[in-house]
Amino acid sequence: MNRIVRTTAFALSLLLLPLVAFAAPTQYQLQVDGLACPFCAYGIEKELNRTDGVENIRIDINAGTVTVTMAEGGTMTEAQASRIVEDAGFTLGGFEEVRAQASNKPE
Amino acid sequence: MHAGPQNPGRRPLCRAGAAALLAAAGWTGAAWSAPITFNTALPVAKGEFVFREQFVLDQSGDDPGGADRDRTAWAAVSVLGYGVNGDLALFGVVPYVDRSLDMTVGGARRSRGAAGLGDVALFGRYTVFKDNFRGGNFRVAPFAGLELPTGDDDESDAFGRLPASVQPGSGSWDPFGGVVLTYQTLDFQIDAQASYRANTEANGFEFGDVARLDASFQYRLWPRDLGGGVPGFLYGIVEANLVYRDENRTGGRDDPDSGGTTLFLVPGLQYVTKRWIAEAAVQLPTVQDLNGTALEKDYVARAGFRVNF
Repeated sequence: MNRIVRTTAFALSLLLLPLVAFAAPTQYQLQVDGLACPFCAYGIEKELNRTDGVENIRIDINAGTVTVTMAEGGTMTEAQASRIVEDAGFTLGGFEEVRAQASNKPE
Repeated sequence: MHAGPQNPGRRPLCRAGAAALLAAAGWTGAAWSAPITFNTALPVAKGEFVFREQFVLDQSGDDPGGADRDRTAWAAVSVLGYGVNGDLALFGVVPYVDRSLDMTVGGARRSRGAAGLGDVALFGRYTVFKDNFRGGNFRVAPFAGLELPTGDDDESDAFGRLPASVQPGSGSWDPFGGVVLTYQTLDFQIDAQASYRANTEANGFEFGDVARLDASFQYRLWPRDLGGGVPGFLYGIVEANLVYRDENRTGGRDDPDSGGTTLFLVPGLQYVTKRWIAEAAVQLPTVQDLNGTALEKDYVARAGFRVNF
């Protein structure tokens, strides 16, 4: 009986795996050159919050990175990210799309 | 003593008055993290507002003139900054001032003073050079503006019209400008500024022009090690202000008991978060080379906060 349950659970998890991956939101990691104090970070955060499709923003001031989580179906271009960072007075040093973990919860 | 009903012709307090006016108005101490006694070149993001409130106590009481003068100037200086884009920021400065002057005249102690809205200053700052690199930046930003005669300059008391040094406003249109440099890293920040203010005449009186050199060093005391996220930073600050003030003029004649050079050393603390800053500092006059019997400065204490929205 236990074996049947385990097998069924395994089979179900295999079936659900693509769905989980599909549901994972898109994330972008922006390298922001010039960012070096907490007060300065707010300008970027505020501008990103005004951008359509942005669901969550996480800034790591030590690494100089801003991780942007998009709502389902939302996308961001490098040109968009560059404009946002420039408007805050800084320079976009890198732009990378990363695949978020499905279990990640917005902060 | 000042140009008053019983002491015409002597105006040594005018120098202190100009100093207080300048300090209280905070025309260069705009709205950003970093220096407490002057501006920074750090940007105001496009469409972002920065509000700063600074409370200033300006105390002068070491009187070489023998009248035992004691001058106290309180000010609440409100600054609103707006980012037009990542390079251009506009600022408005609105001071509320309360100034008093005590002195001994003919063996009797006399107190004079006034309070009210001071002179509003408007200025713009544009970043002409910036080098953004990972974990830091370097910027050069000239600025220019004008102080408007919005404060009352005709206050009087039982002794007559108050001297210019205790009037809430100057009555004059005073242009100013300069350049500020900022080098910022995650661990420390250095700011430097050179500025000039051309005071103009009003009511037959003219404060002396002011030239300043300012420097500020801020060092992150806490947290010592940076983790993730955006933690609050506690900075220890040391600043220096070298202030040269020309002699005041009354009726077209220079006042030999006004103007001179003062060097302030300024220890301070500042706590910086993503949304707000709290700060305090005291300007200590370590060198005062003043003309004639110009009243010497004791200290200028500053405390305040900034928020962005």
